[in-house]
Amino acid sequence: MLIKPSINMLVAENDIAMMQKCRELLLNDGHRVRTAESVEEALVIIQRHPAEVDIMLLSLDLPKEGGLTLIETLQKARPELLIMAMSEDCGEEAIEAMHAGAYGCIRKTFTPERFGMKMDRAIEAFRLRRQLGILTRQRQAALTKVSHDENLLAILHSLSDGLVVTDWQTNVVLFNEEAARLFGLTEEKAIGSPVSVCLESDELLSLFVRAIKSDTALVTLMAGEEPVVKVGDKTVRVHVDPVKNAAGTAIGAVSLFHDVTGVSAMDKLRDDFLSMVSHELKAPLSSLLMQISVVLDGLAGELTPKQDDLLSKAKEKTKGMITLVNDILDYRRLQEGKSIQKIENLDMADVLERTADLMRLSAEEKGVEITFDVADDVPAFNGDRGGVQAIFVNLISNAIKYTPKGGRVKVSLRKKGKDIRFKVVDTGIGIPSQDLSRVFEKFYRIKTDETKSISGSGLGLSIVKGIVEAHNGFVHLESEVGKGTTFVVSLPSEA
Amino acid sequence: MKKVLLVDDDVDFCEAVALLLESKAYEVILAHDGKEGLEKVRAEKPDLVILDVMMPEMNGYDVCVVLKADPELKKIPVVLLTAVDQAIFRTAYTQHMGLMTEAEDYIAKPVESEELVKRVEALLS
Repeated sequence: MLIKPSINMLVAENDIAMMQKCRELLLNDGHRVRTAESVEEALVIIQRHPAEVDIMLLSLDLPKEGGLTLIETLQKARPELLIMAMSEDCGEEAIEAMHAGAYGCIRKTFTPERFGMKMDRAIEAFRLRRQLGILTRQRQAALTKVSHDENLLAILHSLSDGLVVTDWQTNVVLFNEEAARLFGLTEEKAIGSPVSVCLESDELLSLFVRAIKSDTALVTLMAGEEPVVKVGDKTVRVHVDPVKNAAGTAIGAVSLFHDVTGVSAMDKLRDDFLSMVSHELKAPLSSLLMQISVVLDGLAGELTPKQDDLLSKAKEKTKGMITLVNDILDYRRLQEGKSIQKIENLDMADVLERTADLMRLSAEEKGVEITFDVADDVPAFNGDRGGVQAIFVNLISNAIKYTPKGGRVKVSLRKKGKDIRFKVVDTGIGIPSQDLSRVFEKFYRIKTDETKSISGSGLGLSIVKGIVEAHNGFVHLESEVGKGTTFVVSLPSEA
Repeated sequence: MKKVLLVDDDVDFCEAVALLLESKAYEVILAHDGKEGLEKVRAEKPDLVILDVMMPEMNGYDVCVVLKADPELKKIPVVLLTAVDQAIFRTAYTQHMGLMTEAEDYIAKPVESEELVKRVEALLS
């Protein structure tokens, strides 16, 4: 027979015969056993000899429903203590006990074998629990040691990037001078505090948590990701990695912060330049288009078929460039946060109606049937008129664009709960399922034979998404290749 | 012959549009800034004014407002032409400004030649 290491047991039972029976079985297995006849007595023993009680066998038949309260109290005060409940038939009261934190329940009608089996399982659970506790304490201690190594500290302080190290529960254990400068951290304030409190950023917290958890998922979520986050008045590029011990367990997270506050000013300059160039391009492109059109119309003299062919192609290219310039301008506006310019109370049916004429015209040209279905009870919406109009125009014109001649586009606007639901259903070429998640990315365009001839910059849907999200709404998309696509925009009517 | 005044600081654009409209048997007069445009409206009494919005001296909106405030000139139809920095809001914005200035029509630049002719014909019929 296997020799089992002994465990400190406490049997709490007021039925003396039962108590003796348990005591003998446990002693036979080589455990140390204490006994108590009441809840009060059990508590006294646990308080006096905290290290000498590992597992408590607790009768649920103790007077005054004391059992349950005891379990709850002990779970808080001594979480490493394992409690095994015991009752006549392990019914309702056993379930309650387990909810309160008991590990399991033994029927008092047990056979010695059954009792032994149940207790073995409890002992195993207790060991695991204790092991986990030790590991946890080791984990916490591991990182604090670093701050006692002066040479290492000198190196860390010499880094030109901010460095913040947290334990596995995202409490700050170490930071360097640059981090202190960037975020105004002090020893008293920061050490031991959650990183989310020190750096006041939920986004950062999520990065830390993901880094620490990434050791369980084999895939590194952070690969190639260096988000730029605003912390206070600083803009920083962040890199967070898990800190792993020799066993490969994440015991914390190490983060580097590169101050890009000045760099974003450069970004702005570049973006302004982009806007300027786009504007400057637009006027000459408009002229160019008109000039080519006039020549093509034969107003500057008769054209040979070859000249006509070349100029027609030039005209198409010019139109493509104009669309691109427009989209860049739209996208710039969105990034500048200008997608919401002025919030006003909008009659959505009216806004839709104003775009409908334009859309009917282009559907007619394309030979696509378009219907508008607007419910009477659509509530007013607090939003930006231009932005909302851009949502309508982009989604409807997309539907027309990607629906072949003879197809149908159905546009509807209704109230759904507290939301305003704008829906565009087409019988177009559809979106392949592997592209569904990417269509909202900027400059993403699906490349198939069918889309080859359709011009676009790949910015329209990212513009729509940007505006919708700026209004606290969301866009939903369903599509089947060859059948059609449905876009649903939900906007909260109570903003 | 109906007389159309085109006010736009882009000379190349003016030249092309003039060719286009002349081919449709309109007489085309050109002006290249807002002030000149206003003077020519008063001097020439055109049947239609096509007004670019972004112009030096006096912008198209202001010219339009002045025209519409003049009892003698207000019946001349005005078409606003714009490529302003309202890309996302092209339609909405131009529409809005058109209403504010009481212009009869608005056209977002760039515009196709057929579309321009169609709009002009509609206002002059």
